[in-house]
Amino acid sequence: MTIAKNRIGGLIFLALSLGYGYSTTLIPMYPGDEYEIFTAKTLPAVLAIIGVFLSLALLISSRDEQKSELPKLDWTIAAKLMGLMVVYGLVLETLGFLIATTLFLLCGYWLLGERRKMLLFFCSLPLVTVFWYGLTQLLDIYLAPGAVLQWMGV
Amino acid sequence: MWEGVYIGVTTAVMPFNLLMLFVGCFAGTFIGMLPGLGPVSAVALMIPVTYGLDPSSGIILMAGVYYGAVFGASTSSILINAPGCSATVVTAFDGYPMAQRGQAGKALALAAYSSFVGGTIGAIFLIFFAPMLATVSLSFQSSDYFALMVLGLTAVAAFAGKGNILKALMMCVLGLMLSTVGTDRSNGVERFTFGSIEFIDGLSFLLLAMATFALAEVVMSVMDKSTDAQQSKVNNTSSLGSMKLTKAEIKEVAPTMVRSSVLGFIVGVLPGAGATIAAFLAYGIERNLASAKAKLGFGKGSLRGLAAPESANNAASTGSFVPLLTLGIPGSGTTAVMLGALIAYGIQPGPQLFIDHPDVFWSVIVSMYLGNVVLLILNLPLIPYIAKLLEIPRPILIPLILFFSLTGVYLVSFNAFDIQVMVIICIAAIGLKLLDFPLAPMLLGFILGGMLEDNLRRALLINDESLSFMWERPLTAVIMALAMLALFGQPLLNFIRNRVGQRKEQDVFDSE
Repeated sequence: MTIAKNRIGGLIFLALSLGYGYSTTLIPMYPGDEYEIFTAKTLPAVLAIIGVFLSLALLISSRDEQKSELPKLDWTIAAKLMGLMVVYGLVLETLGFLIATTLFLLCGYWLLGERRKMLLFFCSLPLVTVFWYGLTQLLDIYLAPGAVLQWMGV
Repeated sequence: MWEGVYIGVTTAVMPFNLLMLFVGCFAGTFIGMLPGLGPVSAVALMIPVTYGLDPSSGIILMAGVYYGAVFGASTSSILINAPGCSATVVTAFDGYPMAQRGQAGKALALAAYSSFVGGTIGAIFLIFFAPMLATVSLSFQSSDYFALMVLGLTAVAAFAGKGNILKALMMCVLGLMLSTVGTDRSNGVERFTFGSIEFIDGLSFLLLAMATFALAEVVMSVMDKSTDAQQSKVNNTSSLGSMKLTKAEIKEVAPTMVRSSVLGFIVGVLPGAGATIAAFLAYGIERNLASAKAKLGFGKGSLRGLAAPESANNAASTGSFVPLLTLGIPGSGTTAVMLGALIAYGIQPGPQLFIDHPDVFWSVIVSMYLGNVVLLILNLPLIPYIAKLLEIPRPILIPLILFFSLTGVYLVSFNAFDIQVMVIICIAAIGLKLLDFPLAPMLLGFILGGMLEDNLRRALLINDESLSFMWERPLTAVIMALAMLALFGQPLLNFIRNRVGQRKEQDVFDSE
């Protein structure tokens, strides 16, 4: 796939700067702030203006830009890993650190093509248990057991 | 000064701190060796570990990781022609041809000796220059700090390379924008939180660093099929050959090492320049200084071609600590991550660090040197075995790195929402990388954002709400002028060159 990187980058940053600039106008002000030279809005407003200026400069300077080839990348595996991380974040507090992390590692190894059962086992549950023990018992860091284990009375 | 060095030595050689240095050098070498993960990622991955330590031990660990990662990156450059970071790209020019000739051991040994010389000369300079600059900078006011931060940001952009200046500047601005999310520190107004309590405290520096430099790099390496090919090269690196250098060879490279170290340190001190430019410059200068016959050997396994960038990048790594420790302004992506970690400890790097926390100031400097010694006496003999660690299957290694990155952030905030934010930032970072936007300036902008706003606000208050301090106070004016020179110097020079070239062409055309 070929894309004009600078033009796309410039347009995205222009949209971002305009959105940021609009959000700057929504920052609440205290009474009397209108007489101050420097308020909570000052730096964001300046940054929005600089952002718009730089995006326009990039767009103008890349008028004659040749489209360049994107490197061949495996997007499917990236999407799967991202999905796995999102699910891990969602279930971490429900399943608890031990179960959620063991499942996260198992799924991760599996997604990346590891199929050896012994390796899958030894690199997940025992490893997470040692890590969990080190955190909770040695470093005294409290990790909530998770709603599921609490419900089971563990 | 010697009293400070004594404090530093006694702190750094405490058994626990020595252990941290060993662990740091070892872990850094391992992480730095992994293609795609450089010193910034290595240091970012270590931050959660350091939160449980006292500041001196934490910074010693990170300094060890930094050195280890640069050395590890050189190792992967030499062994598999896959530089772990941009600073070791030049190392591969002559290191990889040496490895192909069966002299991998010699190349690794030479890289380690060169790094040691670079680190030693850098550390000696650091001992003398850092306190000097710290003493001078005690007289700095808010306006000077504001100007210095502008200089730091513009210098990073100026050194970003031809065609990338605008993009680097945009990334600095993006970092500054991200730093404004959360509660305004001076009057408590909420900014860009969109009503969510999750953003009231702003974005966490650790989250941003981990998402952009650990998660994004790892996911990119999984997406890129060529890294699998690189691992198969690692598996083929079974024998490294002899690690001994002859007397004649040492005699040949010694002057190169000294020259490149001095150059590297000077370049490293400049904010934004960093180890990459130092390595390229040293390589270029060494090639120019070489005789016509020796010049032909460059790029084909020249010893001088390997020694120059290795000495320079290590000396520059040490040099980049000068602006961090004395002015509180990071000179590179890695020192920006370290600055964030120091701030998290409640330590504000800058001239006051020298007075308030001399143990941290001096133990960092001393551990820099000890890190080099550890690398030489421990890592070099262990390299064949550390290289074996790279044979751990990637399907096992990748989920583990992802787990450490995610857990690292979760264990600081205990908020699972941060994992979702990390994924979003990771996706954005991958998009930015594909569009060739550099990410280090963004992190620098994010870290400097709060300080820049505070200092500008204070400078305006002190100067009766007038911006005249920028040109009325001589020191501020000089620093601002340097910032403008960094920003517009190169484009102006290019413009003049183009005009002169056009005029010459016109003259030739007219005369014809």
